[in-house]
Parts: sequence; C-alpha cells; structure tokens
Amino acid sequence: MNIVKQLMAIPGVIAAGEYAFRGDRYSYEGALTDEFARMASILCRANTLSVNMQSEIFDSFAENCGCRPVQGWIARGNQITICAVGNYFAFIENRDELLNDVMTIMRAKVGDIRDDLLANLYAKLGGDTKEALY
Amino acid sequence: MNLDKMMDLPGAMAAFTYSDRGDLQSQVLREGTELTPQVLDLLAHSCVANLAIASMEARGWEAVTGQGGFQPLKGFSVVGLEWSVVVNGNCGVVVKNRDADYEATFNALQAA
Repeated sequence: MNIVKQLMAIPGVIAAGEYAFRGDRYSYEGALTDEFARMASILCRANTLSVNMQSEIFDSFAENCGCRPVQGWIARGNQITICAVGNYFAFIENRDELLNDVMTIMRAKVGDIRDDLLANLYAKLGGDTKEALY
Repeated sequence: MNLDKMMDLPGAMAAFTYSDRGDLQSQVLREGTELTPQVLDLLAHSCVANLAIASMEARGWEAVTGQGGFQPLKGFSVVGLEWSVVVNGNCGVVVKNRDADYEATFNALQAA
C-alpha cells in the first residue's frame, strides 16, 4: 500500500498527497479539489525549500549539529495541521495523538531524507543548476 | 515563561524565548548538546520568519479556498535529521526526534 493510501486510512486525516520536486506535479487523495491540491503542493515545496535553506545556514555555524538535512515541517493550525515529510504532505485534524501517529508513519515510510534534496529540488526545474548552487 | 518546565518535555534538548524580532532573550541548554547560544539565536530568528510565513499562508489559504481551521496559527515545527524545533508565540523547544512528542510540545507552548 502506498504512503498516501496508508495515511488516508487513519481517521482524522483530511487529505494526503505527494508532490514532485517541481511542485506542479502531484497526486493526492482526500478532501481537496484538484486546484487546491496543486496549491498545497506548491506551498509545501516552497516551505521545504525555505527550511532547507535555513538548515544550511545553521550548519555553517555548527557543523553536524543534527538539523541537516531537514526531514520535514509541521504547521499547527487552530483545528487543522499540515505535516510535510520529504515530498509528502498530509492535512490532519487536531485530534489527540493523531499528529504523533502521522509523523511516526510518515518518517518511517518516507525514510530519512538525504542530503541531495536541495539539489533535486532545484535541478528538476531544468538544466544543470547544481553547479551554480554548490 | 518557565523554561525549566519546557525542559521536562520528552526529548527536550533546549528551550528558549525570543523577542518579536527574533532576538534570543533567554535559553536553557541540556548539558552535552551540540547546540550553542549562537545557533539558538539564529534558530529564533528563523522561528519568527517561519511563524510569519505560515500565518500568511494560513490566512491566504482560508481566503482562497474558503476552508477554515487554520487560523490562528498555533505553532510551527521544523523537523531536522536528529532534532526538531517546535515554536509558538515567543518560545521554542528543541526536541530529539526519537523521543519527541509533538502534540505535547505544541500544547505546552500554547499553554505557556
């Protein structure tokens, strides 16, 4: 069973999806329209890029301090939380223990994100951007 | 703000407070951690930025989609390789991933 289907089987998960590193290709299940899923994919990709950039700065201050590479992020809303791990995302209700369960499953199923995430995020835009970045 | 209480959260490595501009105001570091006050100061600045961006996204998402439940934002967390930083308001906690209880940490920060 793929990760999105596994997440959607958990009561309280509103929607889950996977976005390509480009951000404009995605698949999803749950209570989102196609347009909202596209927007969610772009939002998640932008935030993932942002926190990865931040972790590179931390790393320059304290090498191997344990933050890099970033595995994901969580935005805790009033009633809904967005979880992102790698290139997967989930919109979940704020129910007791659900956030911990979802994060445990996402971390276990997606696996450790490797150091080449940023290179992938940029390189998939087209062309050899890796050389310019590093 | 009782940072010592925050250090009782599962996996807590550091707890800190910061100003609205992101300047580190107080911190407690667990002995033996690789984190330094300098890294925490940088972390605090990024926390302010991330909370502002996430608030903007929540506001925009609700306006565009008509879906509710995102505002007001109750916190933001960045999940690193070994540790995560969880923040809300003007306080943050760094927790070890393997021991982290995200829900308890968000709840503690909200109550603080």
